[in-house]
Amino acid sequence: MVQAVKTQTDPALVAHLYRRAGFGITREQVDRLSERDYADIVDFLLNPLPSNGVHDDEVSRYMGGESPHAYLATWIFRMINSENQLQEKMALFWHHVFATGLAKNEHVLSASNQIEMFRSNGMSDMRTILLDLSRDPAMIFWLDNNENHKSEPNENYGRELLELFSLGVGNYTEIDIKNAARAFTGWTFAQSPPLYPHGYYPCDFVFEEENHDNSEKEFLGHTGNFDGGDVIDIIVDQPACAAFISRHLYNFFVADEPQVPTWNEVAPLDPQLIDAMSEAFMNSGGDIKSVLRVMFNSNAFKDARFKKVKSPIELVAGILKMVGNFDDFRPGLSAYADSTTVVMGQKLLDPPSVEGWHTGKEWIDGGNLTERVNFAVSEIGDGESPGVQRIIDRIIDSGSLVAPEDFVDSALDAMGPITVEDSTSEALMKFARDSEGIDDRLRAVRIISLIVSTPEYQFA
Amino acid sequence: MPRPYGLLRAGFPYLKSLGMRRLTNFPIDIALGSDGWMYVLCRQDGTALVRKYSFEDEDGGNFGDVGDDEGKLQWPVSIIADSEENLFISDEALNRISCFSSDGEFISSFGEYGVEKGQLDRPAGLAFDAEENIYVVDSKNHRLQKFTKNGELILGWGSHGDGEGQFDLPWGITVDELGDVYVADWRNDRVQKFTSDGDFIMEFGHSGTGNGEFNRPTDVTVDMDGDIYVCDRGNNRVQLFNAEAGYVDKFVGDATLSQVAREYMMTNASPNRIRDMAVLEPQKLLRQPRSIAVDSDGHLFITDTGSYRIQVYQKEAIHLEPHQFAPPMRSVTLHQE
Repeated sequence: MVQAVKTQTDPALVAHLYRRAGFGITREQVDRLSERDYADIVDFLLNPLPSNGVHDDEVSRYMGGESPHAYLATWIFRMINSENQLQEKMALFWHHVFATGLAKNEHVLSASNQIEMFRSNGMSDMRTILLDLSRDPAMIFWLDNNENHKSEPNENYGRELLELFSLGVGNYTEIDIKNAARAFTGWTFAQSPPLYPHGYYPCDFVFEEENHDNSEKEFLGHTGNFDGGDVIDIIVDQPACAAFISRHLYNFFVADEPQVPTWNEVAPLDPQLIDAMSEAFMNSGGDIKSVLRVMFNSNAFKDARFKKVKSPIELVAGILKMVGNFDDFRPGLSAYADSTTVVMGQKLLDPPSVEGWHTGKEWIDGGNLTERVNFAVSEIGDGESPGVQRIIDRIIDSGSLVAPEDFVDSALDAMGPITVEDSTSEALMKFARDSEGIDDRLRAVRIISLIVSTPEYQFA
Repeated sequence: MPRPYGLLRAGFPYLKSLGMRRLTNFPIDIALGSDGWMYVLCRQDGTALVRKYSFEDEDGGNFGDVGDDEGKLQWPVSIIADSEENLFISDEALNRISCFSSDGEFISSFGEYGVEKGQLDRPAGLAFDAEENIYVVDSKNHRLQKFTKNGELILGWGSHGDGEGQFDLPWGITVDELGDVYVADWRNDRVQKFTSDGDFIMEFGHSGTGNGEFNRPTDVTVDMDGDIYVCDRGNNRVQLFNAEAGYVDKFVGDATLSQVAREYMMTNASPNRIRDMAVLEPQKLLRQPRSIAVDSDGHLFITDTGSYRIQVYQKEAIHLEPHQFAPPMRSVTLHQE
């Protein structure tokens, strides 16, 4: 007889955590993780494993290539299969915040290297993250810091560093922008060979001493011969930076805030949690893990279920993980990045502007809602997929097919567990009653197809 | 032709490069044909084709459609040409070997997914024996299987592991003129050599970056002198060993612009200016080379996958008679006569 394992964490909470801190989770994974304490699961997410279930050598062997869609196929593969779910999610988070677009940059290798950088440093500290960002060729070119010369400063990077990447409007002056720009003069990159005839070559950061403004600068109340590193040090010490990054994290992981440009006018949804996260930021010298730990362990996070609209890539990667067709390497993943998420309004590696994607309900309009629902139903409705087979088996094995209410409950459990509004529950109950008598497996496929087409399923 | 008694290795200079981006896109393997033509297998996600290409850098057209149906390709891995220049291509997504004429006309295929004898899980390297039976590296089943051209199983050996005769996701394979079989044992970072019946003969290499060490070797081939070439993809190089697996030399890339690349650049002003601003040293180096081939003229062809080209080297070696080559010595010596 199998010994029942004591559940330490509510399976629904585990599923919630992985929808936010990762790209979803299978029901079998929920079962396994539920045996652990919630705080332990959070710590597991915060500390990426050296061996994460995705072997880099195999990714290179089976999915090599330097086109944007080839790279994105590898990223989606990691979203689906990496044990280090939060590491991948943080790479996406910083891609949102430090939005850099191929439409201008064109250099695919630099774009993919930037994502690799976010994967590597995304849970380090804010100083490291901003310093790496300031040395990143894709960012340098995106915001014209290669045009930022001692004799002719270009303020683009200095402005966005303060406005969108660290402090937010209202926490600096125009003088601070000019002097930040001066501090970053000479931060550029070496020219790489052209794309033709032999493909992309890496760009490397270069500091041009002779092109750097070595004169005294005033910045956020400090005076000195500052370079970019000094400016970043001052920024990271600002309570405004702590609050701004905390709000970004809250917006991405907890609940949809209004769009970033309004943040100096509109108060945070949850000032108390933002304060707690900011405190963790300040006390730890800008350590991102410390902030995330406070956030994920807060009751506000635990209670914030189905209150955040999934971004297209969250929806797509989550469905693909559930369906299970890409648990191993196989062709076809690139199409999801090349077209599926694009028609839903998100072209990874190519955000619409330096502001990144507008999130929340702006993800959804009449057109792309149809795309989202059609995609989800199409994938889940394939009863032959291994993941769908497992879901069907779970529903049937639960012995719930007789009573409509049990049938609905077991289907919702197998798909998350997820919870739905009463009106949705009633619609599912109607299907359960009306479908009595049809083949069990077909009936199970139909109800889970209905579940992914509910309004609730658009939310994480 | 028997192997030489001894070999005076006069040199192995770089000869030229073939192809460029958009023409030989992500070349992952080549099969040498007749009259200076070769068949370059190109693969990227969404692209799978064979480009007929000449030693003089001429494009002879291409064939290949992506799909699951017979005659289509998904994730091709290796290409070999038989004596009639029919082309056999392994496909690790479709778990089959497809045969095409040199004009690209689909002829037949064999293989199905599975773990039983004769079934395949991610077939990778291919090689003919002297009778033109086909060795297939059955990669994810960690074994070799030998089939007739019609797909009838003849024999097979291997299992998962790192012992003698075991494999970990093997990739490339070759058969020398004596019928011995060499396999690039990919994740074990070594090459294993077997008799044609699968009896273990020797292994060489281990993980690392030094001479004689490998980082995920993808291919192996043997030339007319018995010299062994290993495509050391993770280290971006090809290593040369003698017939006893003694390390001799390595090729890291010396590329110059191919003829087609020169013609392209002559009509594109902007890339020329950018190229003039850039450090060009990296452009000559191999990037993730995937496969190697040798011909009877001493040419070494390296598919320089990451740089969309093939780098060609020319072996310069003189066969020595017994009176020109001292008997084997028992010890190393400082005697310099």
